[in-house]
Amino acid sequence: MKTILTIIFRLTVSCLLAGAVMGAAFVMTSKAKKHNEHVKEQKVMLNLLGYSEKNPAPASLGMHALYRYIVTEGEALSMGYLVPLADEGRGGFAFVAIDLDGNFLARHPVTIAEEEAREADAREQAILSVLGPGRTIRYADQTIIVTDGEKRMAYLLPGKFPGFKTFIKVMMAVDPAYGILGLEIMEHEEDPGLGGEIVQDYFKNQFKGKAFDTIRKLDVVKTPLPGDYLQALEAGKRGGLGAEEVAKIQEQYKDNDIYALTGATISSRSVTSGVKGMVRKFSYRIAILDRVLAEQHIAVPF
Amino acid sequence: MATDKSNMQLVVNGILNENPIFRLVLSMCPAVGISTTVMNGFMLGVAVLFVQVFSSCTIALFKNKIHPRIRIPTYTLTIATWVTVIDLVLAAYLPEAYARMGIFIKLIVAFAIITMRLEMFACKESVNASFWDGIGMGLGFMFGMMALGLVRELLGLGTILGYDVLGFKPLLFFVLPFAGFFCVGLMMAFFNYIEIVYKRAKRA
Repeated sequence: MKTILTIIFRLTVSCLLAGAVMGAAFVMTSKAKKHNEHVKEQKVMLNLLGYSEKNPAPASLGMHALYRYIVTEGEALSMGYLVPLADEGRGGFAFVAIDLDGNFLARHPVTIAEEEAREADAREQAILSVLGPGRTIRYADQTIIVTDGEKRMAYLLPGKFPGFKTFIKVMMAVDPAYGILGLEIMEHEEDPGLGGEIVQDYFKNQFKGKAFDTIRKLDVVKTPLPGDYLQALEAGKRGGLGAEEVAKIQEQYKDNDIYALTGATISSRSVTSGVKGMVRKFSYRIAILDRVLAEQHIAVPF
Repeated sequence: MATDKSNMQLVVNGILNENPIFRLVLSMCPAVGISTTVMNGFMLGVAVLFVQVFSSCTIALFKNKIHPRIRIPTYTLTIATWVTVIDLVLAAYLPEAYARMGIFIKLIVAFAIITMRLEMFACKESVNASFWDGIGMGLGFMFGMMALGLVRELLGLGTILGYDVLGFKPLLFFVLPFAGFFCVGLMMAFFNYIEIVYKRAKRA
């Protein structure tokens, strides 16, 4: 009996110690980690849009975040978008509720500062406070609408979908016609050397330049990647090919399916179907939102 | 029971006499699965080196406080703690390195070599000896993984460290998991052969 108690005691103490060490490490590093993630995200967004240090983004470039929520009221489900408003410098946000058939339900003004809106908790609190009791919301996804002056330039879609083991987090840039401008893998836990290759240029750049019609019927093929296509896909890393040649080869292969990674068909398929789903769902969601915003005369900066 | 080996001997011991992959035949999962390129081997080697050194030192420091019946849970807890801490610190302060090493670090929790070294060495020896043993084992693991990676990358992809040296891919199946077994076996035989030749030469 005494031994058991000793064992329980020591194991508890070890667990507490380990927990304290991990907790301390988490507290000390969480701020820097968040900052790094934010910086990385910003960099990835600009890269996807084709801007780099040599080719900085113009000052007229605007990025407007749009948050989508699922609203539950008893049994009924509806959708809600937190949209920024273009009220002559006053700014502010509105929560626009839409039912599942795409009809406008309600509009609630949300008072929240722009910096606060980036924090998930503060955002949720603000929305819940205007919705009133009896309703719960669940965060669905986020879209960043990129504008240059008045014109819409692109949409940035952060998203995640199941991979071979766990979720793959990506960031995608699509043009106003829903063609893919670029794909970046943000976080994944695929097998190193096999599924992990999804981060390589020769895989993820295959999505670049695919038009919406191609994406809708996109599939994965298990044939070897042609040599000239490989060179064009990796042009950014290796050099060797001029921009014109790369564009020519890209053009030649733009209607083709995705060439699977050797030894990682499941990862290749997951990314392809994930991207397909994201683009397709986004295309009809944004169409509905645009229609509702126009019908209700809600002035937005995008 | 303290070891009578010097620090240098402990390090060399980890790399040659008791190489984790070719001699102790431990941690075969990463040896088979991840040693597809030299860079993968190096990254995983660095990660293991850190976790092994930190865990060995921790266990050596607390060896008198650990109840013998619950050694294994304590080891696992120690390793998991260090893996988490290293993961968090890298993510916060070295984002560049983390972007390349992140996926490897999380794998280490279940590595046999680390638990085994804690059980065989660190729980009996001083902190100093455990530190050098950890270094030796980490380097030995790194050496083994990089040697495997070199062979597999060269034969499978025709490249070394990502640079194309052959210009073609001789045997693509060498980067697939099952070829890892062939590769480990063949290289183990190779190192055994070298040892036999060496001993024979020494005797003569």
